[in-house]
Amino acid sequence: MRPRLLITVMVAACLGAGALLAQDAPRLRGPEPFTQEQAAPPMQRAVTNDVRVRRNYPDQPPLIPHAVEGYALDLNANKCMSCHARRFTEQSQAPMISVTHYQDREGNTLGGLAPRRYACMACHVPQTEARPLVENRFIDMDVLTEPERHPGGRSNR
Amino acid sequence: MSGAETTPNLTGGPDAGTPRKPNFIVRLWRWFMGIPLVRVALSPTTTFSLAFLTLGGFVSGVIFWGGFNTVLEATNRTEFCVGCHEMKNNVFEELQGTIHFANRSGVRAGCPDCHVPHNWTDKIARKMQASKEVWGHIFGSIATREDFLGLRRHMAEREWARMSANNSLECRNCHTTEAMDLTKQNPRAAAAHERFLFTGDRTCIDCHKGIAHRLPDMTGVPGWH
Amino acid sequence: MDLSRRDVMKAQAAAAAAAAANVALPAQAQNINVGDELRLKWDKAPCRFCGTGCGVMVGVKDGRVVATHGDMRAEVNRGLNCVKGYFLSKIMYGADRLTRPLMRMRNGRFDKEGELQPVSWDAAFDTMAAHWKKILREKGPEAIGMFGSGQWTMFEGYAASKLMRAGFRSNNLDPNARHCMASAAVTFIRTFGSDEPMGCYDDFENADAFVLWGSNMAEMHPILWTRITDRRLSREHVRIHTLSTYEHRTTDLSDAGLIFKPGSDLAILNYIANHIIRTGAVNREFVEKHVNFRLANTDIGYGLRPDHTLELRAQHANDAAVSHASDFDAYARLMSEYTLDRAHELSGVPKSQLEALARLYADPKTKVMSLWTMGFNQHVRGVWANHMIYNIHLLTGKISEPGNGPFSLTGQPSACGTAREVGCFAHRLPADMQVANPDHRKLVEEIWKLPSGLLPAKVGYHAVQQDRMLKDGKLNAYWIMCNNNLQTAPNTNNETYPGYRNPANLIVCSDPYPTVTAMAADIVLPTAMWVEKEGAYGNAERRTQFWRQLVDAPGEARSDLWQLMEFSKRFTTDEVWPAEILAASPEYRGKTLFDVIFRNGQVDSFPLSELSPAHNNQEAKHFGFYVQKGIWEEYIRCGAGHGHDYAPFDTYHEARGLRWPFVDGKETRWRYREGHDPYVEKGSGIQFYGNPDKRANLIGAPYEPPAETPDADYDMWLVTGRVLEHWHSGSMTLRVPELYKAFPGAVLFMHPEDAQRRGLHRGQEVRIVSRRGEIRSRVEIRGRNRMPRGVVFVPFFDASQLINKVTLDATDPISKQTDYKKCAVKIVALTTPASAPRPTAPDVRGAPR
Repeated sequence: MRPRLLITVMVAACLGAGALLAQDAPRLRGPEPFTQEQAAPPMQRAVTNDVRVRRNYPDQPPLIPHAVEGYALDLNANKCMSCHARRFTEQSQAPMISVTHYQDREGNTLGGLAPRRYACMACHVPQTEARPLVENRFIDMDVLTEPERHPGGRSNR
Repeated sequence: MSGAETTPNLTGGPDAGTPRKPNFIVRLWRWFMGIPLVRVALSPTTTFSLAFLTLGGFVSGVIFWGGFNTVLEATNRTEFCVGCHEMKNNVFEELQGTIHFANRSGVRAGCPDCHVPHNWTDKIARKMQASKEVWGHIFGSIATREDFLGLRRHMAEREWARMSANNSLECRNCHTTEAMDLTKQNPRAAAAHERFLFTGDRTCIDCHKGIAHRLPDMTGVPGWH
Repeated sequence: MDLSRRDVMKAQAAAAAAAAANVALPAQAQNINVGDELRLKWDKAPCRFCGTGCGVMVGVKDGRVVATHGDMRAEVNRGLNCVKGYFLSKIMYGADRLTRPLMRMRNGRFDKEGELQPVSWDAAFDTMAAHWKKILREKGPEAIGMFGSGQWTMFEGYAASKLMRAGFRSNNLDPNARHCMASAAVTFIRTFGSDEPMGCYDDFENADAFVLWGSNMAEMHPILWTRITDRRLSREHVRIHTLSTYEHRTTDLSDAGLIFKPGSDLAILNYIANHIIRTGAVNREFVEKHVNFRLANTDIGYGLRPDHTLELRAQHANDAAVSHASDFDAYARLMSEYTLDRAHELSGVPKSQLEALARLYADPKTKVMSLWTMGFNQHVRGVWANHMIYNIHLLTGKISEPGNGPFSLTGQPSACGTAREVGCFAHRLPADMQVANPDHRKLVEEIWKLPSGLLPAKVGYHAVQQDRMLKDGKLNAYWIMCNNNLQTAPNTNNETYPGYRNPANLIVCSDPYPTVTAMAADIVLPTAMWVEKEGAYGNAERRTQFWRQLVDAPGEARSDLWQLMEFSKRFTTDEVWPAEILAASPEYRGKTLFDVIFRNGQVDSFPLSELSPAHNNQEAKHFGFYVQKGIWEEYIRCGAGHGHDYAPFDTYHEARGLRWPFVDGKETRWRYREGHDPYVEKGSGIQFYGNPDKRANLIGAPYEPPAETPDADYDMWLVTGRVLEHWHSGSMTLRVPELYKAFPGAVLFMHPEDAQRRGLHRGQEVRIVSRRGEIRSRVEIRGRNRMPRGVVFVPFFDASQLINKVTLDATDPISKQTDYKKCAVKIVALTTPASAPRPTAPDVRGAPR
C-alpha cells in the first residue's frame, strides 16, 4: 500500500494552516488512498431564512435566501415572477427583478421581463447550509478601495 | 294485495264515467304486480317467524350498509385512484416528487385527502360526480399524456374553484389556521400568513397552487405573471 | 495577503510614480480616497468554463480580480453569464492553491513511495527529465505520453503538440476532449472532410424549431439556452423538442420532451430518415448534387480491451471505421426497417411524439436547428449518431443556411480551438491535418522548420488506451496537464489508478489545485490559470477569443506554456532524435528542443516591445520574446489558404472574437454556402469543399444495442453528467463557496417508485454497484431531474463520490470516446435491517382516513 498523502504537509508547507476543513477534504481530493471506500456525506438542508446575502461585487446575481423546491419554471408558469415581478412586489415585499432584466439582446428596454431572462435559476441559485470546503481568499473591492474602513475584510464565507 | 283486477280507474277523474284505456303508468303497475314472483314477495310469509325476519332484516341491513361503506372507503384510497392509468401516469407521478408525498415527519397526503371532502354528504356528492370520471376512463378521454395536458387547465380550474368555494377545506383538514405557530415558519411565509390568511383576505389555494402537481398554462390566472 | 504590506506596496508604487514624474508627493496623500482609488481596471476575457465562449469583463484592482460581469459587447452572450460565469472572480482564490512544485520524497530523494513535499522547479524538472531520458533510451518514444486538455489555451496546446510530436517524436498526445466530443470531431471529418460546425450561434435567432438530442442545455449551456428560450418566447410559431433519457430543466421549457430508453436514439434517428424518404420529403436536387451515399461496417464492437468477449464476438471490431460506397436505394432499404412501430418499441417514446418530430424535419418550410453534446457523443455508437443527424439534414437539404443546420455543442472552452484546431489528438495535426497522411506531415515539418521525416506517422494512444497502457507498463513517462483524469476517466479503480501507481511509471500532474489526480501523481506542478496568463480559446461556433494576462499567478505557479517550454530546454536533439535524421540534417545537432521548437526564428520573432504596455506577460518576460504572438503567427500558416484562415494576432486582442475562416478581413458565419463562405465557388450554391469531390458523405448505419444493458443482477441504467453549478470535476467551482453551497454534493437521482421498491428514502445512503466497482451516495427523488423508472443519474463533480469507479470503459470503436451514459448498476441500501419486510410493490398508500 502506498503511503498516505499528507494533507497536513501540503497545507502547512504551501498554503498556510487552517485553509482546509479536513472532514470534507474527500469532496475535493477524493479518498485516501484512491481505492478506499468513502462514506457519502449527508445531504444538506436548504437555507430558508430570507436574509439577503451581500454580493461579492455589484454585478453578481443575488443569491436566493428561500426555498425554491417545487417552484414551477416551465412554459406554463414562472413561480419566481409571482413575487419578483414589478407588479407583485408590493404585496410580496420581494425585491423587484433588476432593470437589466427588461432589456432584450439588442439592448431595447421592454415592457416586462425579457424572454432571455426567463430561466431565473441559471444565474440565481439558492444555498444550503453546507460549510465551505476550503476558505476562499477573494478580496472585496471595498477593502482595496477603502482599506482603512474594512480591516481584515475578506470574503471567505 | 292483488289489485290487478280491482283498480279500474286509478287516474280517472270525476268525469271518468265512460271506461277508457288506462294510461301507461297504470298499465306498467298492473303488469308489475301481476308478475308471480312479485306477488309471492309481497304476500305475508307463512314459513318464517317474525323474529327471524326482523333479525334477518337487521343483519342484512348491516351487511348492506357495511358493504356500501366498505366500497366507499375502498374507492377513497390512493391505491384505488391510481388503479387507472390516467391518474397513475399523470397526477400521481407528479405527486411523488412533492412534499405532500414524502417529508420530515412521514405524514403523507394521498389523493382523497385533498380531492374528496370529508363530511358525508359532500363526500357522496363528490362520489357521484366521480362517476363522470369512470365514464371518461371507459371511453378513454385521457388516453395519452397529450390528452391530459390538453385538459389540465380545465381540471385544475375546477379544483381551484371547488377549494376557493369551501375556503380550502381539504387543506384545513390538516393545516388549520388556529394551530399555526408563526415562529416555526420562515419569515416570508409568516408575514404572508399574517397579512393575508389570518385576515381572511385569501384562502390557502389562492397562493398555494401547483404544490402537489405541476401547473397548467397560468396565463390570465390572478397572481401569475 | 496582509493589508499593511499591501498598503506599503501601494505607497511605494505611488512614490515611485511620483519620482518618475518628478513631482513632490504631498504628505499622506496616499491615504485620501480620491476618484482614482475607486477606479477598477477592466479587460475582456472569455469565460473559463464551457464551450459556449461567453465574453466577460474582468475588473482588477491592486493585482487582484475583484469583479466580473457579462460583456455587453460580446456577441455570444450580450451581457449575460450563467451562475458559474458570474462567480469567475473567485475561482483563482481557493486557499489551497498550489504555489510550489511538489514531489514524492523519502530521505531527501525522489521516491515513488514517498510523500509529496515541496521542491524547487529545478528539482522537479530534473527528476522528470532524467526519467524521460531513461524511458526514451530503454523503450523509445512510444513509452512517453501526455494527456492534455480542451481547457489549454491554443498556445499551450500548440506548444505541447510540437514538444510531443517534434521533440519527443511521440503521438501519444491526447486531450481530455477525447472524452467530450471526439465522436463529433471524427464525424465532421468523415462527413464533410473538415471539422467543426458549418453554422454558428446566429442560427438561434433564425430557426423555427430546435431539436435537442440528449442535451440538457438549461444546465450545461445556460447562455445558449437563453438564446433559444428568447426565440421560443418571442415568436409564437417556434417549438422546442428535447430528447433525453430523463426529464430535466430543459424538458421543462420544451414543447415536447421525448424520454427514450438509453441507446435507442439511433432507432429514432433512422425512423425520421425513413419518414422523410417514405413521405417524399427528400430534397432530390440537393441530394443528387451534394451528397454521396455510403453504408457503414456494422457489428463493430465496443472499444473495450481486445480480449474482451464483446470484442472477440464482434465481426468488425478491427475495421469499425470502414464504410462502403453505396446509393440512395440501398440506404433507403436499410432505413425502411425503422418503422414508427419499431422506433416506438425500441425507444418507448409515444408514437404521437415521434411522428410530430419527424414531421418537423420533413417539412421543407420549417427551419430546424439540431443540437447535441455529451448525450450523443458519449455513446458507444456516437459516430453513427452524429452521422444519422447529418443524414437527416442532408436528405432535406436543411444545412448551412441561417436557422437550418446540425450544431454540435462543446463542453470545454477550447475543445474546438485547442484540441481540434491546433490538433492535440493522437491522430491529428493542426488545421484538420492527420498524422497518418505523409503530405500533411511534410507540410507541417516545413512550417515548423524541422528536418524531413522527423514527425512520427503512427497514430498515438487515445485517452482510454493511455490508461490501459500505463497499467500494462507500456507507457511509462506521463504528463497530465489541465485536467483531472483520475476523477473523470471511466472504470478508474481498475483501469486508471493502477497505471498511476505502477512502479515503472512517473506520473506528473500540472494543476492550480490539489485534485484527485494531483494527489495520486508523483510530481505536482503548480499552474497559473485563466487570466493569470495571456491566452486564446476557440468556442463551439469557430470563434477565436483572446485575453491578456490581467493578474500574476500566486507564488511559483507558472502557466502550462511556461512549463512546456522550460522543460524542453532539458533535452538536446542528440538525446532524443534518431541518428539518421541528424546525419541527414547536421545543422540540428547539439541544439536543445527549446532551440528547435521555440527558438526557430519564427516563434521567437516578436520582441517584447510588441507587448501591451498595460499588461504583464510572464512567459514573454521570462523567455525574452513575445511567445504567444510568435506561436500564433507560426500556427496560422498551417491552415491558411485551405479553409482554416485566422486573423493576425493583434486583431483578436481588439475584437470580441472572430469566426474562422477569416478571409479578407471578414469572418464566416455559414460555411459551405455561397455568399457566406469565400471558399465556395460562384454559382455552385453549396460546396462541401473539405472533401475532394466537394460533396458530403451520407453514411447509413443501423441501430445496435449498448455494450451493457440492465439485467436481473444489475437492474438499473446509470447515466452520469454535470450540474449547472459545477463544472466538470469541480476543482474550480467547489472552491467558490456560493457555488459549493448551491449544490454541495453528488446525489443519486432516481424515480420515487424505484426508491420505494427498494425500501429507500430520500437522503438515505446507498451503494451504487456495478460489475466494475461501487461507491456510496445519497438518494434524491426530487429536485431538478425527474428520472423514469429504471434509470438513475449521478453527477461526477464530487470526489467523495467517484462515480467513475462504477462506469464502464466502453468507447465508440471509431472515435474512441467513452460512453459515460450507459451501464448497468444496482442500488442497495447501505444498512439493510435483517428482519424488516421488503415491500415488493410500490407503496402508494395515503394517510389513514
